[in-house]
Amino acid sequence: MTEPTPDLAIEVSGLRMSYGARQVLRGVDFEVRVGEVFCLLGPNGAGKTTTVEILEGFRQRTGGSVRVLGMDPADQQASLRARIGIVLQECGFPRQARVGELVDIWRAYYPNPRPLDELLALVELTADKNSQVRRLSGGQRRRLDFALALAGDPDLVFLDEPTTGFDPESRRRCWAAIENLRVLGKTIVLTTHYLDEAERLADRVAILQDGRVQTAGSVRQVARQACVPTTISFTAPPALRHGDVAPPGCLDVEVSGELAVCKAANAAVALRELLAWAAQNELGDLDDLAVATPTLEDAYLRLVTGGTR
Amino acid sequence: MTANLRLAVRQALLEQRSFWRSAEYALFTFALPLTLLLIIGSTTAGGFLPGTHVKAQMIFVPSILAFGVIVAAYVNLGAKLATLRHDGVLKRIRTTPLPAGAYLSGVFGSTAATTLAITACTGVLGWLAFGAVPRVSGLAEIAGGLLLGVVCFGSLGLALSSLARSAESASPIANASYLPVAIMSGIFDPTFSVPRWLSAVVGLLPVRALAQILQQGYTPAAHAPLSDLVVLFCWAAAGSALAIWRFRWH
Repeated sequence: MTEPTPDLAIEVSGLRMSYGARQVLRGVDFEVRVGEVFCLLGPNGAGKTTTVEILEGFRQRTGGSVRVLGMDPADQQASLRARIGIVLQECGFPRQARVGELVDIWRAYYPNPRPLDELLALVELTADKNSQVRRLSGGQRRRLDFALALAGDPDLVFLDEPTTGFDPESRRRCWAAIENLRVLGKTIVLTTHYLDEAERLADRVAILQDGRVQTAGSVRQVARQACVPTTISFTAPPALRHGDVAPPGCLDVEVSGELAVCKAANAAVALRELLAWAAQNELGDLDDLAVATPTLEDAYLRLVTGGTR
Repeated sequence: MTANLRLAVRQALLEQRSFWRSAEYALFTFALPLTLLLIIGSTTAGGFLPGTHVKAQMIFVPSILAFGVIVAAYVNLGAKLATLRHDGVLKRIRTTPLPAGAYLSGVFGSTAATTLAITACTGVLGWLAFGAVPRVSGLAEIAGGLLLGVVCFGSLGLALSSLARSAESASPIANASYLPVAIMSGIFDPTFSVPRWLSAVVGLLPVRALAQILQQGYTPAAHAPLSDLVVLFCWAAAGSALAIWRFRWH
């Protein structure tokens, strides 16, 4: 085992997991740096939850090495649990407990808890301090999940699909809570189905597929690795629509109705060509010229399904 | 150690508050043994056990005390733990550094407090309605029996919650396992008779053992209570071992 690196919160290498004969993880490698929001993406059954549960100490791996805050989660050390906070996918509360007393007793479980009022304020539950848990809405319960996970002022927070099944307003509030954590300097490991969520929150993502990390890096890097072309669009000038002017030869321009769309690997080169072509043919300014860089969703779909949109 | 004890006490207090907050649950937990006491008492109180000079209430009141212990510590605790596990509350506890022992002691302590409250109510009602008062020299038997009974049936309840495959099945399994034994043990009718071989089997189970220890506290029995203590102690040890061995967080 190599010495743990201080600026890495999590080191995973060669992680394997089998349930009987079924191999779920076939050698997963990734690192999470201290202070970043790291997002694990992947289709259902790719092994996201299994990976996270191994990191959390809920499952014993079949092979490979795992270091979480310098410790092996398989050792089940209370000292590790004191430094991590976990928001599980679906997890109940003692139903008759009140919000305030539940958060307060959770604080007692940890050596260095955050102040109660601060926790409630962080997740916008101050007004619900005296409500019984069973009377909370789904969004409020999720935020209570956050408060309990943060009670011990953890260095590392795991969020397993934190906004699944939420309405847009609840999602926005949940995102705000995660942004708050980032401001506090916490390291966050997030799994999600929502690519807009990953794109908005994550510093780096890893795409898990068939039990391996297929791609990892910043959102931009992943998009580049997926080789998704940049899309340039503009309103097709009448001369182009009527076939009086041929589209630039070196570019792949498609005209459908009023819209002309050009997909290019290198946006800067394509734009230069396009503007030169427009000037040459006296087409004036290209109306509604827009450049859309590839989104994480484009990259994800291309990598995971091999398809294009 | 003292820190763990403090955590356990805090947990027990939270559990107690939660118990009393669900008024319906609390009410019917108390109502069951008290109602049975009144029904049985209304038909048999004042009479003597056949062929003896022992008043019926000196037997059925402590029998219902035992029944209260079984319902509160075995049935309710077993079902409660199964539900907590099913809902993921235990898994959530497992995410924290709280020692398992402190948490379970807290839950157990709250159950013990509820059980003692129920037996106290049963005892007072037995005295007020039927004049059944424990012997002064029998208080040690009652205290020891209640303590051992709570540990025994509570640990069996914990074990049951782990052995039941689903949260829904914990309650029916608990009822199906104790009620026939309670009837055969003469809890509701001390004259209830079963074949000799079955009686021997029932004598090895903890229900009759607990009832007889508590009866000893009300009226001196012909036989020595030592064998009952041994039976109850063995079941407490077996129940605790099984509960610890099979305990699951999720």
